[in-house]
Amino acid sequence: MAQATQDTAIRTGRVTRTLIYLVLLLFALFYMLPLYVMVVNSLKPLDEITGGGMMNLPEMWTLEPWRKAWSEAQIGVEPTGLKPYFWNSIQMVVPAVALSTVLGALNGYVLTKWRFKYDTILFGLMLFACFIPFQIVLIPMARVLGVLGLAGSVWGLVLVHLVYGIGFTTLYFRNYYAVFPTELVRAAQIDGAGFFQIFWRILLPSSGPIAVVSVIWQFTNIWNDFLFGASFAAGDGAPMTVALNNLVQSSTGVKEYNVHFAGAILAATPTLLVYIVAGRYFVRGLMAGSVKG
Amino acid sequence: MGFLDIRNATKSYGAVEVLHQVDIAVEEGEFLVLVGPSGCGKSTLLNMIAGLEDITSGEIAIKGNVVNGVHPSKRNIAMVFQSYALYPNMTVAQNITFGLEMHGVPKADRDTAMQEVAKLLQIEQLLSRKPGQLSGGQRQRVAMGRALVRDPDVFLFDEPLSNLDAKLRVDMRTEIKKLHQKLGTTIVYVTHDQIEAMTLSTRIAVMNGGYVQQLGTPKEIYDNPANLFVASFMGSPSMNLVPVTVRAEANAIYAVTTTESNGEIKLAFPEPTPALKAYDGQQITLGIRPEAITDPDGADRKSTHVETLRAQVEVTEPAGSDTFVTCHLGGTECIARMRADADVAPGQVFDFAVNMEKAVPFDPRSENRIF
Repeated sequence: MAQATQDTAIRTGRVTRTLIYLVLLLFALFYMLPLYVMVVNSLKPLDEITGGGMMNLPEMWTLEPWRKAWSEAQIGVEPTGLKPYFWNSIQMVVPAVALSTVLGALNGYVLTKWRFKYDTILFGLMLFACFIPFQIVLIPMARVLGVLGLAGSVWGLVLVHLVYGIGFTTLYFRNYYAVFPTELVRAAQIDGAGFFQIFWRILLPSSGPIAVVSVIWQFTNIWNDFLFGASFAAGDGAPMTVALNNLVQSSTGVKEYNVHFAGAILAATPTLLVYIVAGRYFVRGLMAGSVKG
Repeated sequence: MGFLDIRNATKSYGAVEVLHQVDIAVEEGEFLVLVGPSGCGKSTLLNMIAGLEDITSGEIAIKGNVVNGVHPSKRNIAMVFQSYALYPNMTVAQNITFGLEMHGVPKADRDTAMQEVAKLLQIEQLLSRKPGQLSGGQRQRVAMGRALVRDPDVFLFDEPLSNLDAKLRVDMRTEIKKLHQKLGTTIVYVTHDQIEAMTLSTRIAVMNGGYVQQLGTPKEIYDNPANLFVASFMGSPSMNLVPVTVRAEANAIYAVTTTESNGEIKLAFPEPTPALKAYDGQQITLGIRPEAITDPDGADRKSTHVETLRAQVEVTEPAGSDTFVTCHLGGTECIARMRADADVAPGQVFDFAVNMEKAVPFDPRSENRIF
């Protein structure tokens, strides 16, 4: 009996424990490796990279590649750096994320609290948006954007991402609101609150966790999208991802790997920030409603 | 015409009719309890009064105005929900005043009204808290405060006590009753708990299968149940239902049954009514409340028709205030409620005193009471 207590879930043997941490540490190092390579090489002059020793720390530390990637590098025809394209991406991602999240919340609200005939079928159809591959819609979408006069503009991209995102955001909010007590909505109705008052005053303030999930998901997808950006936004209107591709894929001149690394990190920073700031709500939101609490 | 009129209200979902021709007139200041097992349509009826569900046919009128199709917020009603339905993101004070705000009441008036209600319900110290920080009983009070502050014509309660623990439930029950006596408001209250129904109401509507089985004062319902359902649903332990044979003799009518130990016994009905006489020779069901079967000393002294029957005691269950005694009558188990110190032991052959004034005969086929 006395020995048995050594083996409880809480007090696992010291050796096992060390092993577990060791393996975890190894995996962590392994996954950190690409980031390490990117960071060290973005802080080296180019000749240190071409001279081999990719894993080495820089002999001469420099921020020059970062400055170059941000404001001087040759993107397409102009030596503008990634800066203008970064702002393009911001201009696209902020309205697209905000609108798709709000519309998703509104859809979820209607689909759960204002049920109507065939609403589940409608919801099922909306879910198709989550499964249709991007490539299929390229040509019809190009046609639609042309007809609307939005082709090649940031607003065209916003529309594309909005339409694609609503399927996901609706799914999130519908499932979240499905377990939101309908009695609250009824109480608010008796209290005299209207359709939008109930939405703004009762449901939205309680939607924090799922809104975070929706924002993270949408932000990551839209920011990292390359296909729609490359297809529907030409030249100066291109988002960050397309610009990064143009920077890295340029077929003339010397390949400035240090600048490429710096540019890639710049392109990845916003999504990284979103995860760090809101990440802890992410799991909480995904788990919401799964357990009684 | 009453204060709240429900006339032939019917509710169907598609082809399924769940509420059949309900007809209830509630007077001003009345406390009507809708009671019945789950699925009997009581909550549906309440939601129809509130306007949360459509009325398929028939009418509901509040203060003489037909409210079919009128939005819930315009019926001047307030509702307390089973889950309390407090808005989780708002403080207690905001919860209470939300309805007034939605109805465009100026802030100063809202605050005065809120303070008054908070004082009445003794929740003044909770006003700045969020519902998540309150205990069950406190939430219950806030939910009532939210209803009271609106000063509605009719209060609707949807099983408001069923989420509380046993002791708190009894306390809150008393408080609701006090509140009703103090304010004299009209209340429609839904519950599946027959004790809540008995203690709170001025009138009870017992419902089952979408029908109102009986509508009456608690005493009427308890003493004169209209049918076997009401008889067995109301009261705890429930009414003993003994199969007996009617036998009409010279100037009295007897209920004849058997006990296992002592053979045939005859219990005389207090009044030989013609309706009973028509059942001469047939089997009927005799309903006897447990407290109408006692030891001879504990029998109701005001009753003029106490009959004695000799039977063997099977089990005694002392419950502190009473002792429940089980015996066999006509092949069914029969529970008697005796004084705590009644001198009775299992196996003993005992003289049970049956108060026939409180016995209710039922037709076993139609299940209705025989008058």
